Amino acid sequence: MTNSNMTCEEFDAALPDHLEGTLDEPLRASVAKHLSECVRCASLVRDLDKIRKEAASMPDLVPSRDLWQGIEARIAAPVIPLTARPEPKRRFAPAWMGVAAAALILVTAGITYTLTARSFQGGTPTVAQVTPASNPAPASSGSDTGVTGPSPTTSPSETGGTGARAGTPPSTAVASESSPRRPASIARVVNQQVSEDVYSREIAMLQKIVTDRRTQLDSSTVAIIERNLRIIDAAIAQSRAALANDPASRLLSDQLTHALDKKVELLRTAALLPSA
Amino acid sequence: MAAVSAVRVPMADSNDVALAAAGDRQAFERLYRTHANRVYSICARMSGSRVRGEELTQDVFVRTWEKLPQFRGESAFSTWLHRLAVNVVLNARKTEGKQDSRTEDSDVEDDRRDEMSRAPLHIERMDLKDAISKLPEGARRVFVLHDIEGYKHEEIAEMMGITSGGSKAQLHRARLLLREALER
Repeated sequence: MTNSNMTCEEFDAALPDHLEGTLDEPLRASVAKHLSECVRCASLVRDLDKIRKEAASMPDLVPSRDLWQGIEARIAAPVIPLTARPEPKRRFAPAWMGVAAAALILVTAGITYTLTARSFQGGTPTVAQVTPASNPAPASSGSDTGVTGPSPTTSPSETGGTGARAGTPPSTAVASESSPRRPASIARVVNQQVSEDVYSREIAMLQKIVTDRRTQLDSSTVAIIERNLRIIDAAIAQSRAALANDPASRLLSDQLTHALDKKVELLRTAALLPSA
Repeated sequence: MAAVSAVRVPMADSNDVALAAAGDRQAFERLYRTHANRVYSICARMSGSRVRGEELTQDVFVRTWEKLPQFRGESAFSTWLHRLAVNVVLNARKTEGKQDSRTEDSDVEDDRRDEMSRAPLHIERMDLKDAISKLPEGARRVFVLHDIEGYKHEEIAEMMGITSGGSKAQLHRARLLLREALER
C-alpha cells in the first residue's frame, strides 16, 4: 500500500517515533497524510494505541498467598544486634579492674600497717614470716584474682568487709582476696554459658531460615556458605574443647565468642541474600 | 504514567517509613500491606511468572528493609520502592543468567511459555496480561517499564544498561508482538 507521499514501509520506519510523538514537523505531516489514506496503517496505529492505553490502566496483580510471613522471617533474623550480645570481657573488665585495684591497695595498706606497727613496737620485724608462706606469691595472687575477675555477685558490703580487715595480718588479707578466684571462674563459665545459649538460639533461627531458603539461593553461593560454615564450626569445636580443659581462660572464651560471631554474621548474610 | 503510579499509592507513608527505618517491623508490615500488590505486579510482569514474582517480591521487601535507613525522602517512597523493585528483578535475572541450574518452578513456567509460543493459531484470543508474559524477555521488560510503569526510555536505558534507542526498539517490537498475539 502506498500513497503519493509515503510508502507503508516508510511509515513503519517512522511509526516508533510517531507513537513517541517525537517526529519532526515535515515527517509528521507525511505520516498524518498516510494514515488518512491507508487502512492497514491506520488500523495498526489504532491497535497499538489501544494496547498502550490498556497497558497503562492494567490493575495491580495480587499474590496467590500472603508473602509477609516469608519476609518477616528473613528480616526478623537479626534479633540480637552483634554489638549488643553479652561480652563478658567488656562487661566485667572495668568492674574487675576496680576491685583488683582496691584489693591491691588493701593488701599494700595491710602490709604497711603490720610492718609499721611492729616496727613501732620495737620488735625485730618478721617480715619474712608475716609474708604468707602458705601463699608464696602474694603480688601475683592479686594479679590472678584480677585475671579471673571477682564474682559479679560480690556485694559492696563484701568488698567493704575485706576493707574492714585492713588491719589484719597480710596473710589473712591476701587469703581473703584470693578467695574470689574460684567463684569468679565459675561466673565466667556461667556467663559463657548464657552467651552461648543466646548464640545457640540465634544460630538455630538463622540456620532454619537459610535451610528453608536453600533452593532459592544460587547453588555456588550455597556451596561457599556451607564450606565457610564448616570452617567456622571446626573453630567453634576447637575452642569449646579447649575451654572444657581451661574454663577460666579469657583468651579461649574470646576465641569462641569470635567464632560464634562469625557464624551468626555469615548465616545472617545468607538469610538476607536475594533469591537467585 | 509515573503520575498514575503515584496516585495509586497513599501519600501518607512518611510516618511508617520513618518508624520502619528505625527498626519498627509493624510499621514495615504496614508499608508492605500498602505496596505489596504494586511491587508484586512489577515483579510478576517483568519476570513473566507469577511464582517467580512472589519470590522476587519477598526479595524486594527484604532489600527495602535493609536499605530503608538510606532512604532520604528525595522522592516519594513509592517511587523509590518501585525503582528498587525493578533493580531487584533486573539483578536477579543477571544472576540467573550465570546459573547452570534453575528452580523447578521457573523451568515449568518457561516450558509452558515455550509450549504456548509453539502452539497453533487456533488458541482462544488471549488477554493482554497473558500476552505480556509470553513476550521475549527484553521486549517484555521494556514494555512493562514503559507502558505499564511509566518510566521514560532514558530511565529504562540506565536501569537496563542499554541505549535509549535500544529501549525504543524493544518497546516497538513488544507492541507489535502483542498486537499479533491479541489478533489471534
